[in-house]
Amino acid sequence: MIADDQIRWEGDRAVITMPAEIDITSADEIRQALRAAASCGAEVLVVDMSATTFCDSAGVQAIVDAYNLVDAYNRSAATPTQLRLVATGVRRIMTLVGIDQLMPVYSTLEAALTGGRD
Amino acid sequence: MEDRLRDIQSITDAALSRLDDQDLLTELLERTRAIFQADTAAVLRLDYGSGHLVAAAASGLEEEVRQGVRIPVGRGFAGRIAAEHQPVILDRVDHSTVLNPILLAKGIRTLMGVPLIAGGKVIGVLHVGSLTQRQFTAEDLELLQMAADRAASALGSIMARDDRTAAEALQRSLLPSALPAALSAEMAVRYVPGKGKVGGDWYDVFTLPSGQLCVVIGDVTGSGLAAAVIMGRMRSALRAYALETTDPEDVLARLDRKMQHFEPGALATVLYAVFDPGLDRVHMCSAGHLPPVIVSPGRAAELAEIPSGLLIGASPRARRQVATLEITPGAALCFYTDGLIERRGRLIDEGLGQLCKLVTAGPPEAVCAAVMAALVGSETAADDIALLMLRCRPEGSQP
Repeated sequence: MIADDQIRWEGDRAVITMPAEIDITSADEIRQALRAAASCGAEVLVVDMSATTFCDSAGVQAIVDAYNLVDAYNRSAATPTQLRLVATGVRRIMTLVGIDQLMPVYSTLEAALTGGRD
Repeated sequence: MEDRLRDIQSITDAALSRLDDQDLLTELLERTRAIFQADTAAVLRLDYGSGHLVAAAASGLEEEVRQGVRIPVGRGFAGRIAAEHQPVILDRVDHSTVLNPILLAKGIRTLMGVPLIAGGKVIGVLHVGSLTQRQFTAEDLELLQMAADRAASALGSIMARDDRTAAEALQRSLLPSALPAALSAEMAVRYVPGKGKVGGDWYDVFTLPSGQLCVVIGDVTGSGLAAAVIMGRMRSALRAYALETTDPEDVLARLDRKMQHFEPGALATVLYAVFDPGLDRVHMCSAGHLPPVIVSPGRAAELAEIPSGLLIGASPRARRQVATLEITPGAALCFYTDGLIERRGRLIDEGLGQLCKLVTAGPPEAVCAAVMAALVGSETAADDIALLMLRCRPEGSQP
């Protein structure tokens, strides 16, 4: 479950935390949360999947949707949002489907927030 | 009061449950029409593909069904009920309030309708109409709502069954069961729908005029008829592009462009492999799909080294690369979808490792059986599973 206070702010950087398992039953809710986050106006938006251990194709679809929403937002935004992903357990699946072509993938939240090396 | 009780019993009558769903709908409409002394009662079902309401059952004005009346959601009387998820009572029926030509032509004066809701979604509309001017009351609406609850469960199961039948027929018609003849290769396949529900997994095997052998495996996100329909379109499109260009990367790029234009929002992973006519080399390109397992006789199986590429439908800026692998005589390749190896509570690498231990260069039918026994066993698969084993015949053996 994603809580109501889904977006956590670290200065002008926003973090949205993903649940342990993402599948068809939770993907809709996640999509809603990511939709709201996509236009939050943060300089950096981190999708934190470090606690996620299972993510099927419905979860992948939610992440791709988030990318497309941020992409659409950036086309008209004065300050574009950089989308970043943190993945450990599901990192393999994220790179297999090519999500790393859409956004940088980090193995820790710290690295994602600073944009530094893992 | 007594009348009302009798009306409620007429709708909730347990005996109705003995009828099949379509007969139950018809009988329920007969009774509903009788209760309200109405001239018509009808159920329209929502067709998700077109966003139209289509007459599914009727009492009084049966021609609604026979003529296939269609009403766009959001327009007219029934369209408004479906769009707003709210009951509507209409005491002025004319072109500005009603679209259905049959209701207008027959001179229906008053209408009352409610949405049919299943699983939180509108799946249709139930309405009654009268040739005389009359006032439907709040009590009437409550009673119609009871009939709607019953109708929704029958309609829901009719729609689910129709979708399942159509998706299964589509899958059956599209999955090849045999290799093109005269090839020096052997093939075995498995396809298992997830949770008894067909989805968007597919495989395809065909030859090109050049003598090249092509293998495709893919997985459209989602399940049911919607995913199966997209799968069918992707399969045909890929075959067409395969005739135009032999470069697997180009084929997938064309497929991606086609999907993004005609099926926006749909996502799929696809692996496309083109074998040289002698089956001694294979050129593969992946759009977000799991790499095949490759095994040479007497060696341990391993995951084929293919650069990962972006899945189909995600972005017009996708990058993918072709990997060319040498194939030793008698080697086998195992193509599969994620349903085979993904399980809750276990990382994907464990599943891949387990699969590599199971795949050998033995007879493909036996290898498929062993893989399915070990990875699926007696569980009901949560997700679709497609599996294709291809063995290039050992040198010197007769086809």
